[in-house]
Amino acid sequence: MRRTDGELILWWTLPVLLIIWLAAFLMFPGFRPPMAPAMPADDVAAFYRDNTSRVQYSMILFNWFGAGLLPMLMLIAMQIRRMAHSTPILRYCVISCAAGGPTLFLVGNLFWLIAAFRPERAPELTQLLNDLAWIAFTAGVPFLIAQSVFLALAIFLDDQPQAVFGRWVAYVNLAVAAALAPASFAALAHDGPLAWNGLLSFWVKNIAIFGWIIIMGVVLGQTIRRQRAQERVAA
Amino acid sequence: MSARWRDNPKRELWFAWWTTVVFYQIFGLVFFVITRTQPPPSPGWDAARIVQWFNDNHTGLLVGFAIMFLITGMVAPANALIAYSMRRMSVSPAFGYAYLVMYALSAVPGMLLLCIALSVGAMRPDRTPELIAWIYDFAFLTYIGTMGVFLLGSLVWMAAILLDKNRVFPKWFGYLNLCNALTEVVVSPAWLFHRGVFAWNGLIAWWIDMVVFVTYTAVFIVQLRRLIQREDFETGPLPDLAGATG
Repeated sequence: MRRTDGELILWWTLPVLLIIWLAAFLMFPGFRPPMAPAMPADDVAAFYRDNTSRVQYSMILFNWFGAGLLPMLMLIAMQIRRMAHSTPILRYCVISCAAGGPTLFLVGNLFWLIAAFRPERAPELTQLLNDLAWIAFTAGVPFLIAQSVFLALAIFLDDQPQAVFGRWVAYVNLAVAAALAPASFAALAHDGPLAWNGLLSFWVKNIAIFGWIIIMGVVLGQTIRRQRAQERVAA
Repeated sequence: MSARWRDNPKRELWFAWWTTVVFYQIFGLVFFVITRTQPPPSPGWDAARIVQWFNDNHTGLLVGFAIMFLITGMVAPANALIAYSMRRMSVSPAFGYAYLVMYALSAVPGMLLLCIALSVGAMRPDRTPELIAWIYDFAFLTYIGTMGVFLLGSLVWMAAILLDKNRVFPKWFGYLNLCNALTEVVVSPAWLFHRGVFAWNGLIAWWIDMVVFVTYTAVFIVQLRRLIQREDFETGPLPDLAGATG
């Protein structure tokens, strides 16, 4: 019997994580609909007064599970290791990006929780905390963009008859990187598609992240199963 | 051309090297020209002068840091290549991994918190001056006062170079890492002083450190290039550059 190496157990954390993230996302009142950057300070303060506990519970949930994608990213790193590269450079690139995404998310998460901790403070202060949270959350995409680009490049350079991932996975990753890019410019707009509640910076960006997790999760699951089957045949 | 590039066994190394070079060009352009955050403005200013600084640099701050949010992931190939240089040495892989993770962590306190804070400051110029002054302090203190990861990362690289038997880098470059590490110690008084040579825009805490950092960065980019040129994908000592003309 094959020894358990735990990769499939790590893989099964993914659907659980996705459900928790989706629940926290829907529970946070600031996302339904996303708060407008043009909201006056008094309205922002009133929002935190009226929704204190729902902000707190949803953000505590995000605080627990914000780094939850790391096992999946390391499974991807393990697959890059099987690719026909001459150096570990691209695997190192993905590992070097992996912690950056959750760290920036955590910065936003902290400011949301601090904003809700004393909602009766001066409205300008709550507005500042809210701004810091939204900009960190929205524009905090550099490592997510980069890891998709590095993964795409790793797939393109995987020159072997039985490639680890199909070419189309590389194109999906480039498309996701392009979908995340406009969010970098969120601080430039108070309304419209680039604003942090806008079509590009909120909807396209967050749907791209969820889509990436689902597609890469499925691809990764299939790849790990295929790898196990090949190893059984070889053994 | 693309077929030849794909067949080159050093393609990943050259990708990482060129990304490093381009990243530092963009970094310099954004911080020195577009946002005018380098050389840094004074920590001794009153709130009114800080508000004026934000107004003078409004568009530059927003556009410049948007560019950084877009491209900061380009630091990863630089970290990867430096970690690779340690994997090529005779030392334990632990050195390369330690460096990789420390420098992966460093971009957030070392740069991105400033980008977030100053973007937030610039996006609402009508905030009360005291709040704008708080944002300004938060931004520049995290950026200039974040020292530990760079300090320890440079020391890890230095130790690896000095212990290495594979001649990956010349020993003098190991000691240059020590110079870079020491700048991180010298900058620490920036937390204590509002004006003078030790303040965050001072002769010691900023100017001397910047000269060392720019020299160090230029030297390690050249050294990494020589490493890639000399790489033979073996595990013993790296050969000298064949037919090198300098």
